[in-house]
Amino acid sequence: MIGRLALPLARGFTGPHDIGRKPPAWAAMAIVAIGFLVYPAFASAFAASNVAFYLLNIPMALGLSLLWGYGGVLSFGQVAFFAVAGYVYGIVAGNFPDSAWATWLGTLAGLGATALLAAAFGYFIFYARVAAWIVPILTLVLALLLNTFLGLTAGPQWTFGQVALGGYNGMTGIPSLQIAGLTFQDYAFYYLVVIVVLLLIVGLRAWVNSQRGQVLMAIREDAIRTELLGYDVRLEQLRVFVGAAILSGISGLLYVQWGNYITPSVTSLSQAALPVIWVAVAGRDSLVAVAIMTFLLSLLSYELSSAGNQYALVIIGVLLVAVMLFAPEGVILRLARLRPRRARRIGDAA
Amino acid sequence: MSASGPVLEARGLNKRFGGVVAASAIDFTLHGHELRCVIGPNGAGKSTFFSLLCGIQKPDSGSILLHGQDVTRLEPFRRVRSGLGLTFQTNRAYHKMTVGENLETARRGGTEEDAAPYRAAISAFGLAGKQDLPAALLAHHELQWLEITMALRQGPGVLLLDEPTAGMSPNETMRTAEVLRELNAAGLAIVVVEHDIAFVRAVAQTVTVLHQGAVFAEGTVEEITAREDVRAIYLGKVREKAR
Repeated sequence: MIGRLALPLARGFTGPHDIGRKPPAWAAMAIVAIGFLVYPAFASAFAASNVAFYLLNIPMALGLSLLWGYGGVLSFGQVAFFAVAGYVYGIVAGNFPDSAWATWLGTLAGLGATALLAAAFGYFIFYARVAAWIVPILTLVLALLLNTFLGLTAGPQWTFGQVALGGYNGMTGIPSLQIAGLTFQDYAFYYLVVIVVLLLIVGLRAWVNSQRGQVLMAIREDAIRTELLGYDVRLEQLRVFVGAAILSGISGLLYVQWGNYITPSVTSLSQAALPVIWVAVAGRDSLVAVAIMTFLLSLLSYELSSAGNQYALVIIGVLLVAVMLFAPEGVILRLARLRPRRARRIGDAA
Repeated sequence: MSASGPVLEARGLNKRFGGVVAASAIDFTLHGHELRCVIGPNGAGKSTFFSLLCGIQKPDSGSILLHGQDVTRLEPFRRVRSGLGLTFQTNRAYHKMTVGENLETARRGGTEEDAAPYRAAISAFGLAGKQDLPAALLAHHELQWLEITMALRQGPGVLLLDEPTAGMSPNETMRTAEVLRELNAAGLAIVVVEHDIAFVRAVAQTVTVLHQGAVFAEGTVEEITAREDVRAIYLGKVREKAR
C-alpha cells in the first residue's frame, strides 16, 4: 500500500512534467513552504488573512493549468464554477447556523454542485466533439450568463430558507468553516489555505507525472492519434474538465469562507480573464510556475487597487500582452529554462 | 474468435463525398495469419478505405466486422479496444515525448503482460536502448518503426498500416518488410495500404487492388503483378482510354 502510494509521489518530485525536479529546486520549494508555514509567527492576523487571500486563487489556477496547459483545452469560464461553489455553500451552510456540520455539508454541496454543472456542461462540449477554439467562447458565455442571472436575483423569490441570493449586492453573512468549536478565521484560515494549496501542488504534480497525466498530454499533442490507441478522448477530457471545475470550486469555497460574502461580480468579464492571465503569464504547463504567478499577481492587483489605482486591471492586461510578445511560453518557464540549450537536452535525455 | 474464420471483413462499403464516390461496394475479407497489401494509384480510395476500417469515417452503407463482431457504428477507440492496431500515413508518434513515454502512452493500462509481437518489434526495430530519447530526435524511419511498435503494444489481432514505408530508404523499407513478415509468421494478421510496388513484392502474400473506389482485382502477388490491366491503371492507361 505504502509502496503503491510512494512511487507516484516520488514521480511527482522527479517526473519530467513540471519545473523543479532536482534537489536544489526541491530545497528552494521546501524553504518557501516552510516560510509560509512560519509566517504567522511574524505577522498580524490581518496580514496573514491578506496573504491567505492571495493564495486562495491558486487551486482555480492549478485547475486551469491542468485543463489548458497540460490538456490543451482553454476555458474562459472557470469563475463560473468558483461562483457556483461559493453560492451553494452560502445557501447550505447559511441555512443551518446551529449545526456543527453545516459548513462541511455546505462544502460538500458546493463541490458537488460544481461537479454536476461541469459534468453536464462538459458532456455537451466534449461528446459533441466541438472544435477546440469554441470551448473558450462557450465557457465564457457560461460565466457571463451566470453573471447576468445572479444579478437578477434581488427579489424575495430568490430566497432559499434563510438565505437571500441578493442580486448585484450579493450574498452576505456566509459562515466561515467550523470544526469542533474552531472557526477557520485569521491564522486558522491562513493555515487551512496554505495546507490545501501545498497538498494540491504535491498531489497534482504526482498526477501529471502518472500514466493518466501522460494521456492528457498525448491528447493535447494529437487527439486522433490518442483515440486510435484506444482511449476515449471525450471521457478523458470531460474528466479533466470536471476536475478543473472542482479545483475552481475549492477556490470559490475558500473565497466565501474568507470574506463571508460573494457577489455576481466574481463572474464578470474582467474576473473571468484573470485565471487565464495568471496561467498564461506563469507558463501554462507548469503547476509550480502557475502557483507562484497566481500568488504574485493576486498580490499585485490587490496592492494596486488598495492603493487607489484604478488601472490595476489595465496594468495586469499590459503585462499579459508583454508576456505573449516576449516570452510566450510564460515568464517563470522562460526563467527556469535559461540554462544553455545543449545542457538541457543532454540533461533531459539522461 | 475462431482461428480459421475471417478476422476483418468489409461488406459492400459505400462512401461518397458530395459527387465523388470514394468507396464503392467494397468487399474485403482478411483471415488470421494473412498479410494483405491494399494497393492502387493515387485517388483510388485507399485512404478512404483505411478511414472506414478504423472508424474515422463512417460508411454511407455496408458493414465492417472485426473478429466477427459488427463494428460499423463503433467509435474508433472501441475498435482499437476490440483488437485493431493501426498507424497513419503521416507519422503521428508524439514528437514532444520521449520514446519511452510514447510506448507508455500506447500501453493504455489494460494489459499487464506485454504482447509477444510488441516485444519482438521492440528488439527488431532497436528501440530498447532509445527509451529516454526525445521522439523528435529520432530519424524519420525510426519514428515510423516507433509507431508500428506502439500499435502492437496492446496485442491487436489485426494490424492496419497506412503507407508504413513512406519516405524510407530502400534499405529501411526492406528492413520494415522483413519485420512485418516475421510478425505475420508469428501469427499476426496484417493489412498494409501501400503504393510502393517494390515493398508490396517484398512483403505481401495477397494483394487487393483498388481503383476508383472499388475493388479492381484480388489475388496473390504473382497473379496481380502479372496482370496487364493492373499495370495499366498504375501507369494511368485505363483512365486515358476512358477519355
